[in-house]
Order: sequence, then structure tokens, then C-alpha cells
Amino acid sequence: MSEEHSSESPPKDRISRRQFVAGAATAIVSAVVGGIVGSQAFPKTVTETVTREATKTLTSTATVSTTIPTTVVSTATKEVTKTATKEVTTTVTVTPTVKKTPIKNAMLLINPVKCTGCMLCAFACAEHWIKEEHPELAGDTINLEFSRIRPMRFQYVDVVNVCYQCRLEPYAEGSDKHPCEQVCPTGALHTVPEGEGKEGYYGNGYLWVDKDKCLGIDKCGRCLEVCEEQFGSGISYDPITKKAQVCSMCGGMPVCADACPEGAIEVVAPGRNGRVYAEPPEAKAELYYMKLFGVRRDL
Amino acid sequence: MAEAYGITGKIARIDLSKEKVTVIEPDIEVYKKFLGGATLGMYYLFKEGIVSPDVDPFSPENMLQVMLGPLNGAAPNNRSVFVTKSPYGFICLSFAGGQTAMKLRFAGWDGLQIVGKAKDPVYIAVIDDKIEIRDASDLWGKDTEEAEMELKKRVLAPIEYKDVSVLTKYDMTPQWVEIRPPDPEKTIGAKRLAGVWLIGPAGENKVWFANIVTEGFRAHGRYGSGAIAGSKNLKGIVVRGTKGQKLADKAKFLSIMNDIVNKEKQSYFWRSYGTAGIGYWEAVAKSGFPIRNWQWESWRDPRTAKALTGPFMDDASFVRKEACPGCALHCAYMTQITSKDPMMNGGITDMPDWEAMGMVGGNLGYLEMPGKTPSDPYTGDHFDQAEALAKTQYTTMLFDKFGMDFIEGGALIAFLMELRQRGYIGPEDLDGIDLKWGDVHAVDAIIRKIVKREGIGDVLARGLFETAEYFAEKKGKPEIVQYAQGCHRYAQPAHGTRSNKDRNPLEYVTVIRPCEHTGGGSGAFMKRDLAGAIKGQNFEAVTNSLVICAFASTYGGFYVEDNIIELVKAATGWTDFDSDAFNKVGERYYALGRLFSLHSLRIKDPIEDWDKTFPPRWFEPLPEGPYKGARSVYNGDPEAMLADLREYYKLRGWTEKGVPTKEKLEELGIADIAADIAKQWW
Repeated sequence: MSEEHSSESPPKDRISRRQFVAGAATAIVSAVVGGIVGSQAFPKTVTETVTREATKTLTSTATVSTTIPTTVVSTATKEVTKTATKEVTTTVTVTPTVKKTPIKNAMLLINPVKCTGCMLCAFACAEHWIKEEHPELAGDTINLEFSRIRPMRFQYVDVVNVCYQCRLEPYAEGSDKHPCEQVCPTGALHTVPEGEGKEGYYGNGYLWVDKDKCLGIDKCGRCLEVCEEQFGSGISYDPITKKAQVCSMCGGMPVCADACPEGAIEVVAPGRNGRVYAEPPEAKAELYYMKLFGVRRDL
Repeated sequence: MAEAYGITGKIARIDLSKEKVTVIEPDIEVYKKFLGGATLGMYYLFKEGIVSPDVDPFSPENMLQVMLGPLNGAAPNNRSVFVTKSPYGFICLSFAGGQTAMKLRFAGWDGLQIVGKAKDPVYIAVIDDKIEIRDASDLWGKDTEEAEMELKKRVLAPIEYKDVSVLTKYDMTPQWVEIRPPDPEKTIGAKRLAGVWLIGPAGENKVWFANIVTEGFRAHGRYGSGAIAGSKNLKGIVVRGTKGQKLADKAKFLSIMNDIVNKEKQSYFWRSYGTAGIGYWEAVAKSGFPIRNWQWESWRDPRTAKALTGPFMDDASFVRKEACPGCALHCAYMTQITSKDPMMNGGITDMPDWEAMGMVGGNLGYLEMPGKTPSDPYTGDHFDQAEALAKTQYTTMLFDKFGMDFIEGGALIAFLMELRQRGYIGPEDLDGIDLKWGDVHAVDAIIRKIVKREGIGDVLARGLFETAEYFAEKKGKPEIVQYAQGCHRYAQPAHGTRSNKDRNPLEYVTVIRPCEHTGGGSGAFMKRDLAGAIKGQNFEAVTNSLVICAFASTYGGFYVEDNIIELVKAATGWTDFDSDAFNKVGERYYALGRLFSLHSLRIKDPIEDWDKTFPPRWFEPLPEGPYKGARSVYNGDPEAMLADLREYYKLRGWTEKGVPTKEKLEELGIADIAADIAKQWW
């Protein structure tokens, strides 16, 4: 029983006393209860034990890892760090992958205090979309231009630009469409209704660009213009086809939020019009300077 | 060249005099031999004859290069390096993090080489294949932070802006048009997707230790690359790339990369305060803190060091963290200065990091209470400690804004302060500025003089040793020069040599970037394990060629030889890149760097005229702290160090004088560019 799961449990010398006791206890229980139930219970118990320990550290993503030896904290000499790192490297991933469920009516909110501008969100996004839209390049190319989330550095603040799901207000503007959707002359930029579209990419009520209909930046560019003139900066263009790109929230399962090492990207369904969050990059940066440093700058 | 992976196979040669751009396509063997970054840059300095002592550093013939390695771009922890002949005449390899190197790779280049001199101030705009030389007259004289904000918005890729408005009222609903019609005047493209390298006023005025800066505070430190850019009338380089990077084995590359990032995420040390975390410990445990021009290396009262500890700085001033692309260590912290002094209050800067808190904080005497010495008990409270922090941050901010190196600069000002303390000079020698220990207003005034090269500032702008010789001659007192703390006529950075818990003085003598603190192998050096030290130095040399971060590699251990070799293979597809090739790159780096400085400075006897240029203080007893009385691992005997130095050269396979032999150069495959130079000392 316990042999069967030894590959999933931590290496012998790394098992803490608590883990060992918990594991042993489960093994006894499962021996009584029987095969199938026991085989599920064992890894689950280990997971819980490890999770409780891991909460003390910085783990924010689904991957659960063991705590860092505290020696790293107090003695960080070159040599000691090096040896300590060797211990750090023995990660134990026990958590089974949880099946993600798409979130409807959600948007991405970026915390400017937590964000370090490391661009891991953009790397993840670009990788996601190159597979979908340029499979011929996906095997050997990394190109941030395919990313729909675009961090921009304004020296001491980082602004992460992404679509904020703005909508027009019917009573004032005569439409409840997204502004970019409203000005699109060909209907290329449209909302894919809930329940339709490709899982993990588009659908579930999010924006999507039909590449066959889009006229591209050279001939058109209305979506970009209205977004940057009146709202934020959520539109980018494919560097190869020159067609518009917009965040489709990965159909409600955004990869950027998973990739963020700081937990700075939240996926929320705030139940209000996203346009209240939207600002063009420089305005957003100017506001962040006010929030973070208490100064007014003209960027 | 066939399809290139990792690298792009193209280097742009930009001639500012002729306003012409040509493309160089080096042979693949050149890449394999020199890898990229620092070593590839040095190869071109030899090949093009810049190494010759007849090429003046400030002449148009000198070549300023920014070079990338095969991992620059998609890999995390990447940096940029400027390679040129330093204003001091020796080799300039100067590194910084930031996003711009990644953007240059994504624009499709392996490096830029800038020669000639522009008639008027210019900046270079790189937008993928297109390279333009544009006017920068309006930005000349502006500080690094302000000028960068402006330059960034001037360079846009064709896919991110429209110069004519296409939106009309017919695209919108009538109600919408009524309240907010389209504005045809408003420009589209308010984005900041470009990266910038630029100089501040110090570089423009050719201060010898001026830096090339990016992102407001990330400086290509030391050795004066900024002055070389200034001598070419080059304000900056702005890069926007949309082409991405091709990798030979992307899946493998990403899996190693993810491993590294995941390990980084668990590093409490780096993720908490960066190098700000070592301040207290450098003082009380390692006793390697530069205090008052290295007269002390730790304080008697540990509380004095409290102001420069990570947690204290965090509580008092850290606002947020900032990372280089793909890095989960985020060693940089953005801070805001709070002080009762209106001159300093409200300034926005970064942490200070370890070198800044050492060379500016401890070295200028900011930490002690007024009238006290480092041997006195600390009498202040947390507000006094916060003022000491503010002074350090303010001075760092000035250096960054003007684009000037605070290691050489901090050492220079501390040297002047010690001369004043010992009565060699007074305010009358410094245009009326009274440089008392800890006086931030006097420091502010002298920095502004150096940047403008006004009055005495014109002398000081030539660095520590030139200044020392100037005062020695002016006062007729040759002993003044011994207070200049440094080696190879260049300032010692903030890691002490006397306690043998931080650095072995031999390390500073052997590194090829004069007196650098990031040469690698420090632990082995302190144990006098010279073979281990050479291995460490060669490793660091390879990371400098790749160009990856020392925090993530040498100091953090996230990159080791094995995963670097795998990463290079995955990026480039060079199946023959193995451990031997890896180490040879390090050996080439050391051979070329050593020969460059010796030849360029017309050194007759490498040991006597170059290696023996270390200060006597390295071997004097420590006056305070846990290692009181310590006089380095050599117990105060420079001859013992020189014996180790001879052993070191032997282990490197060099001559007794520390020159690579003919056989060594042939083994390394660099005899064609270096043998003619090396033979003068054989």
C-alpha cells in the first residue's frame, strides 16, 4: 500500500515526523477500510499535511512545496546559500491537478503594489496564444507580441495593460456593447456567447476577434483608437498577420493569473462595468505614482 | 548563416560619424568560441585593434558595444553588458539588469557596435531591423529618469500606433458622438513597450566613472561606459522588438526555465530584501563593511548598522518590488525618502542595495551620530537611524539621476573626507566645500560639481587615483596616494579584505575587471584554494558572456554549470557545447581581459607596475569588531599574497608575470588575435 505510493511521497530523509505519522496512520486506517478508499485517502492526507506547512512560505499557486530550511534566512553567505539551495531544490509536488472551471463575467485586476513587472504573465499568455494561432511557429518561437496582457514599465511603477471588459452605457451611449466591438466595421470583434467557443481560449461571453473578417492595423485600427482615446489599452496586433488581438480571458480560465509568482493578478467577477477600472497606460502610471509615492507626475 | 537558434547571427555596426548602419554576420564558430556578451565584445576589441594603446578612449575610433548572449531574450535573469575601452584605459565590462536586453534580442540582434562620433546629440532607435539615428538635442542635459520617460514614448513599432485617425463619428452611436466625439488630434500609441539605455549629465560631460543607466536606477556600473557614450554624443539607445526569439529545443528550454523560476519562488532570502538583507550581517558578522574610507569595517555598537538592514529599510521606506523579465527573485525595491530635511524628503529611488549602502552609507560616515566615531556607542533612536537611511538613499538617487557610479564616486568622496580628517586638505582645496564625515549637504554640493566638471569637479571627474595624485603633487606629500583605497588604479567596492570572512585581497588583484566584487570564487579564495577560485572565476566569466545575473547564478545557485550547458544547448542546438567548451570560454575571458588592460595601459612589468598597485590598508589590523586585529588571510604580509598570486598564474597556465603563454593562447584558439600582444612579456 504505502509502497505503491512511494513515488508520490517525499524522499525518505525529507519526510517530517508529522508527515510520517500522518501517512502511517492513514495506512493503518486504509488497511482496515479497504483497497480503493485507502488508495485515495493516502495521498490526500499527505497533501493536507504539506499544505499546512507550506502556508508559512510564499506558495501562492497550485503547486505545493515544502518549506525552505530556515538556515537560508539567517545565514545567507555565498557558500551557505549555495549549499542551502541544494536543499531547497527538493520540491515535493503532491497536489493533484484540479480541473479548472471557467469563470463567467470575470475580469483581471492587477495589484500595482504586488506586481514586480517580471512579465511572466505576458510570457505565459504569448505561449498560450502562439499555440492556438500560429501552431507552425509554436514549436520553436517565443514572441511576447502574441500576448494580450502587456506590462509596461514607467521606471518606478509597472502598469499591466489588459482588456478591462468595458461596456458602453445604453442610457448615455445608446448601446451596451464593448466600445471596440461597437466601432468594428466588419463585426470581426465580437462577443462569443456563453457556452460557445473553444475551451481555454475563447467563449463564455468574452471578446474574440474573427481573423478572417478583421481588416488589420494597416487598413483600419478603429478598435485600438477608440480604446486608447477613451478607455484603456487593451488592443494589440498580431506581428505577422497584423490583425487585432484582444484578451478573451482564456474563456474564463486565464493563464496569466496562474503564471504570476506574486499573486498580483486576480480573476474576479465584480459585477460592474469594467470601464471604471480602465485608464490608458500613462494615466494609469500617473495614478499609481499618486497612490504609491504621493506625487503628481506628468508622463 | 543557416537558421540561427538562440542567437540571431546579426550584429549591427552603427557609425555615428558617417550615419551609416552595416550588418555583421559573425561565423558560427565565433559564437561557439566566445559565446556572446563580455567575451564576444572583447574579441571584437582585439580584432578591430581597439586594444592598442594608441586608441584614445574618448576618440571616435573607440567602439562602444552592447552584446547579448544566446540566453538573452526568453530566459529569465538576463542582463545586458557594455563592452568598450574604459576612460581609464583598461577593459570596460559593465553590466545591468532590466528589460532592454530582452527587447534587443526580440528585435533580432545579437549586439550593437557603435563607432564614430555624432556632430550633435543623438539617440539610436532600433525597431526590429530598422535602425535610425535621431536627434536628441532637446534631451541633452536631462537626468536619466526624466530622459528615459521621454525616449520610451518616442519609439513605437508599426503594429502599435496609427499616425492618422481612422475613427469617425459614423463608427459610433449618435448618442455616444454627442457626448464624446472622436478626437482626430489625439495620437494613438500611448504605449511604453520600448526599452532604453541612456546616459545622464555625467556621461555627457565625460565624467570618467559615468554609467549607462536603464529604468531610472539600473546602472551599468563602474568603468565609465557612460563617458564613452557621451564622447560619441550619444544620449541613448531605444529598442523595440517584435520578432521574438527562435529556440532549437523550445520544450526543453521552457522546462529548465520553469524549474529555475520555481526554485526562485522558494528563495526567502532573495525574495525578502534582495542585497539589502546583508547590510547588518556584513558589519557585525563578516566585518567587511566600508566605513569612513575603510578605516573601520564594523561598528563597535551593532545598533549603528541597524539603519541599513533590510527589515528596517522595509519598514521605513520600501514601496514595492521590481523584477527583471522572467525573474521571481525581484532583488530591487522602489523606495521613497522620508526625512526632516526638505532637500531629501520625498525623493523616489531604489533601496539602497549592498554596494550603495556600503560605498555611500558607511563609507561617507552617514551612520554615526554627529561628532561620534564608529568606535563609540550609538546614542540615537529610530528617527536618527531613519535619517541615516535617508542620507544614503538621497546620495544614491543623485548618482543614479546623473548617471554616475557610486562605487568609484563613493570611494572618491570618502577619500577626500579622510584627507580632510587628517588635515591634508581643507575647504579651500575643494572650492569652499567642507567635506566632514556624514555631511550630506557637502556631498550633494561636491557631486554637483563633479557632474558639471566645475572648478575642482573637473579634477575629481577623473576618478580616485588621478585625484590622489593631483593632491599628492599639489601638497607635495606623496603619502596622500596611500589613502586611495583600491587596486589596479581603481576603487575597491564594498567588500572588505581584512577579516577574511568576506574577501581575500588576492581576489581583487586577479580579477580582470579592475577591482570588481563579482568575480566569483570568493569562498575558495578565502580558503586559499586557488584551483577552486579559478573554477569559480571561470564560471562567473561564462555567466558574464551569456549574459545572466550573478545573483541567480554565482550567489543564488539557481544556475549551475549543468543547467547552463543544457539551456545553451536547448537554445542554440549546439550539440558539442560541453563542460570543456564551457570552461574554455571562461579561460578566454580571463586571458583577453588581462591582456587588454596590460597592453592598453602600456604596462611594462605586469607584476610590479600593475598587480602591486594595492593599498597598504589591506594589511593593517582591523581597529574594531569581531575580528579586531585581523590583517587578512595573509596575516599582514603582502609577500605571502604575491606568492599565492604566482601560484595562481601557474594554475592558469600563464607565465610568472601573469601573461598567457603561447601554448595557452593556441589551446584556447585565440593566438591569432592575442599572441602578438602577449609576446612583449614572454
